[in-house]
Amino acid sequence: MSSYAHPAPLQQKFSSGFAGAVVLHVAVAGILIGMAFLHPFQPKHWGEDAASAGAIQAVMVNALPLPTKAPPIDHSVLASENVTKAPAPPVKEKTAPPPTPNDLLIKNKVDTKPPKVAPKENLTPTKHPLPTPDSPKATTGDAATQLPQAVTQSVNGTATVTVQNRSFGNRYAYYLRIVGSMVTKNYNEQHPDPRASQDKSVSMLFDIQRDGTIQNLRVETASGSPTLDAAAKRALLEIDSFGPLPEGDHITIEYKFDYHHP
Amino acid sequence: MPRFTVVKLFSKQYALAVAVLCVFFSPLLRAQDQFPFHLESTNSTDRIRIAVAPFKPQSADPATAGYKNTFDTTLFADLSAAGIFDIVSKSLLPQSSPGNQSEMNLAQWSAAPASAAMIAFGNLSTQNGHIVVNGFLDDAKNTQFPQVFVKQYNEEASDDQARQIAHRFADEIIARLGGGGVGIAETKIYYVKQTGENKEIWEMDYDGANQHALTHLGTVSMSPRISPDNSRLAFSSLGRDGFQIKMFSLLLNRVINFPAAGGTNVSPAWAPNGNQIAFSSSRTGDPEIWTADANGSIARRITSFRGPDVSPVWNPKTGGQIAWISGRTGLPQLYIMDADGSGVQRMTDGGYATSPSWSPNGQFLAFAWDRRYGPGAPGGQDIYVMEITTKKWIQLTHDSGRCDFPSWSPDGRHIVFANTPDGKGAHTRIMTMLVDGTQRRALTGSGADMPNWSWK
Repeated sequence: MSSYAHPAPLQQKFSSGFAGAVVLHVAVAGILIGMAFLHPFQPKHWGEDAASAGAIQAVMVNALPLPTKAPPIDHSVLASENVTKAPAPPVKEKTAPPPTPNDLLIKNKVDTKPPKVAPKENLTPTKHPLPTPDSPKATTGDAATQLPQAVTQSVNGTATVTVQNRSFGNRYAYYLRIVGSMVTKNYNEQHPDPRASQDKSVSMLFDIQRDGTIQNLRVETASGSPTLDAAAKRALLEIDSFGPLPEGDHITIEYKFDYHHP
Repeated sequence: MPRFTVVKLFSKQYALAVAVLCVFFSPLLRAQDQFPFHLESTNSTDRIRIAVAPFKPQSADPATAGYKNTFDTTLFADLSAAGIFDIVSKSLLPQSSPGNQSEMNLAQWSAAPASAAMIAFGNLSTQNGHIVVNGFLDDAKNTQFPQVFVKQYNEEASDDQARQIAHRFADEIIARLGGGGVGIAETKIYYVKQTGENKEIWEMDYDGANQHALTHLGTVSMSPRISPDNSRLAFSSLGRDGFQIKMFSLLLNRVINFPAAGGTNVSPAWAPNGNQIAFSSSRTGDPEIWTADANGSIARRITSFRGPDVSPVWNPKTGGQIAWISGRTGLPQLYIMDADGSGVQRMTDGGYATSPSWSPNGQFLAFAWDRRYGPGAPGGQDIYVMEITTKKWIQLTHDSGRCDFPSWSPDGRHIVFANTPDGKGAHTRIMTMLVDGTQRRALTGSGADMPNWSWK
């Protein structure tokens, strides 16, 4: 209620303040315009043809004020500029020179080597049969095939096919190899139970008739794992014929299968 | 109400997830029902490595060189095509080729790079207008008794005889080393040759050589089937009474009598004992399977369902079963039954199956099959092999045009079939392959169709 009581002094105060504000604005505008007249806008272009214009001013001097060189340090081995002398290598012991070839006298020593000649292919083949070296030493390779048996490796075991007639096995080793590979081909490595058959072996006996068919198939030694026995038996039962026998009426084959799962 | 919306949304998502899973797993499901069975191991390490030495010419006759070339080429091709050998490449052979056992140096052949397990070699000469060939087979690993066999062949001097001798020598090697399998180098293939408007029955050797015509009927003849003793050829031929079964004697070299009947009589098939014939006949109005004896008498109908029954084929091992194509459920499907018409069993589950062929050991059926038959369907007609006991099948040809009319070789290791690269009938040619689909090659040019492999 009291603020509405004095309207006249409020209006007076406002008019004097308004006049002050106008004067202040005019003064600021005047200062800006005056400054613009005193210092007109002159953009300086970089690289202008002027004595003091440009970004860099280079001054030619005769010497650069480099820092003074520190004196060499002598007391510290690592910091020293002087190279430390390496110790001299140990003195080599003198050995006697090796004897020259002429020093030792060997009887009938031929000095000059005969010139090397490329081996010529033997165009006159040797007569057959080649003599087999008679040595008690057990050899590998060719001698192994002379045994009347064929060994075939499968994924999880070894199949050994042995013929009881030794002379047949020696004479017709190729037939035995065919028997071995056919049996292994028909053997299904999924059939035996891996845990029950591990490290067990089954051996079976059968006859091959003149026409190559299997007869009298029987288990000679059971493995103790029925699945392995059945797989070995099935491998043989699935074979129709091994092909006609090269000689004789029938042969008896022992087929042994060693199961070993890697 | 809002709860319903959530449930509905969930069920939509669930259905989508199931659909996505189905799409994702469907190849696996399909892969399971076509899980490949064990046909024959073609691992090259199982195969016997054999070296074929060039035969040694032993007469200075200029013709000998030509015969020797023919002989060497044929022998090498026969043994490579057998599919049971790992052949030593010609560039790895030793330079000197032995002519007989005493000239043989086993160490040279069994050592690297040849590393042969077996060596076929020998000599060839021409004497008084005869080719004389001495063929040897040696076991390179057996230094003590290397010789497996030695054979002498003596035939009239001609290029064709040089090839025949090579076939016989190759068959002898395969018989000794093939583990019970017979060689097929002396077998023949009978087929239909299109000559202008007509189709005649032709004959060729198993390797595509020596192609010549058998019939000169001046009409359309098709589906030749050779008898088990290779003496007669049954086929169907278009005459005044429509298609009738005809019989051609290879011994007399002319068509012999076979009774005609009403209707269309096509696709003859021989029983393995050679005493019976099965064929499709529409003499009662509907194409059915009939059997008759080898000269056409005592015909009996053994199928009686509505719908066409065609393309019978006997089980060559037992002679007790017949496989055929029947359209009793719509599209043609493969069926088997006992030879008296009982025990019918459907083998294929869909698609369009045609022209079965029974494997010589009785275990498998080869047939042409278009699994997704219909307009715009992917794939096409290909050769399939099905194991009869399990009904599992494998596809042998892929993306090589229409394939039809498979026929097994007597050793069960090869299949001959007709193939059209571009689908045009005039471009049909005869191709052969191993039963696992490898070693595919064409035997004839275009215009040859419906091959049938002889029994032995």
